[in-house]
Amino acid sequence: MNVFEIIGNIFIIAGVIFTLFGVAGFFRFQNFYIRILVSSKVDAVGMLTLVVGLAFRHGISFFSGKLMLIIVVLLILNPLVSHIVARSAYLSGHEVNDPPEQS
Amino acid sequence: MDLLWIVLWIMLACSFIYLWLIIRGPSIWDRLLGKNLIATKIIVMILIFASINDSAFLLDFAIIYTLSGFIGIIFIALFLAERKKRRNP
Amino acid sequence: MIYAMLVFWILTALLIVKERRAIRIILYFGAFSFITAICFFLLGSPDVAMAEAAISTFATIFFVICVEKYTNLQIDEAEKASDRQEDKKPLTYHLKKFLPPLGFTVFLCALFIHFLPDNTVNTFLKDQYVERFAFDVGGENAVTAIYLGYRVYDTLFEALILVITVVAVSHMSWFDKTSVADGRRSDIQRSGMAVFTIRIIAPILLLFGVYLIMNGHISPGGGFQGGVAIASFFICRYMIYNIYDISIDKIIRAEKAVFVVAALIAVAAIFLGVWARVPAAYLDLYQGTYLLIMNALIGVKVACTFIVLFYRFVAIERL
Repeated sequence: MNVFEIIGNIFIIAGVIFTLFGVAGFFRFQNFYIRILVSSKVDAVGMLTLVVGLAFRHGISFFSGKLMLIIVVLLILNPLVSHIVARSAYLSGHEVNDPPEQS
Repeated sequence: MDLLWIVLWIMLACSFIYLWLIIRGPSIWDRLLGKNLIATKIIVMILIFASINDSAFLLDFAIIYTLSGFIGIIFIALFLAERKKRRNP
Repeated sequence: MIYAMLVFWILTALLIVKERRAIRIILYFGAFSFITAICFFLLGSPDVAMAEAAISTFATIFFVICVEKYTNLQIDEAEKASDRQEDKKPLTYHLKKFLPPLGFTVFLCALFIHFLPDNTVNTFLKDQYVERFAFDVGGENAVTAIYLGYRVYDTLFEALILVITVVAVSHMSWFDKTSVADGRRSDIQRSGMAVFTIRIIAPILLLFGVYLIMNGHISPGGGFQGGVAIASFFICRYMIYNIYDISIDKIIRAEKAVFVVAALIAVAAIFLGVWARVPAAYLDLYQGTYLLIMNALIGVKVACTFIVLFYRFVAIERL
């Protein structure tokens, strides 16, 4: 096991811990806006860390290059999805202190 | 057991939990959020599976999954933002 | 791993069956498509998984548009109250709802596994395909060899069904004109951040679709998946400019022409037996050219189909 694999394993474990924090945040809060803030932000960080760890495990190769492309796409798209969902909820009149609306 | 298999099982358990968010979430926005979170978990699972098999051509599937899945969610969210206005014209 | 994923899959399918509200069913359907795609992937067929992942975004968009138009959006108070009561019930009640169908499914699976014949599976046809595809059709991806070589008429029939879908959507609509190309603005409100970000993403999507088509006979992918990716680029384009400026008539005409050309090339290559007369030294070149041209034609045709469907649903049918 060389140095790259050890660094990669550390990154992967950190990513898993962040992801579990996201799950805990989703159970902890009931309001939609707090929930989307906590779980999607922590989740994006955890996923990016995990993918970086996978890239470290493979060293410098074609596989890591493709992983870098996926990291760029995820880094752009995943926060955008959270932003759009929260914006759409706000525009359609879902207030912060509302009782949860069935739909 | 290798570390990657353990991570794979943890991701599967997380996506089960987020399925509960899709079922239970009181409003439609919670359900969209749950869809997004399940999609990210499944992308990570695909990447880990490709890393275990060490085959780079399996990553194509991850790229198209990311692009098309997230664009679908973005369009649905943009479309549903007009709901209230059309409901009470 | 794959068994756990299949249990997940059956669970989401049961959710779809048990739900009453249409808009919830669509979101469950989205999750179901995601899980279907990864089940196909784990079972060892990335081609089908790609097609499923690319199709599911279009399917959910069409369903959402139709449901928002045709269902009564005003939820009445009695239904709301019954829903609220149902939400207050404990977890065991929700689990109990899914227990009978789940038990039935498990029973069927157990029955099937118990009565499975234990003699060896007949793999004669599979061995034939795997041995001969590189010589008969060429390429490195056996799936491409099957759907463009041995079963090319099946592929052409699927393409014909897509044409029939477009014609049916155009002719059963209440809208009497066939096309809208006047540059009308949409009423969907844009978001500046989404426009800025999708401007970065859209070229990647278009390039990736072209890559899938060009590499269809070498790596997983092919005409259908690439075509749907190119059609997804037009969703991005719609979200950026927010304007209906595509002449649907011209795209339908181009689609029909491309279909006729693809059918003619396939008939000429397979039915007339062109390859039997090609000298063996140039066989690879001919086969590669045939696969590339057929993949490109099928890709353009599928892309045209989905562009027409998307613009019709978003621009005309929604109003």
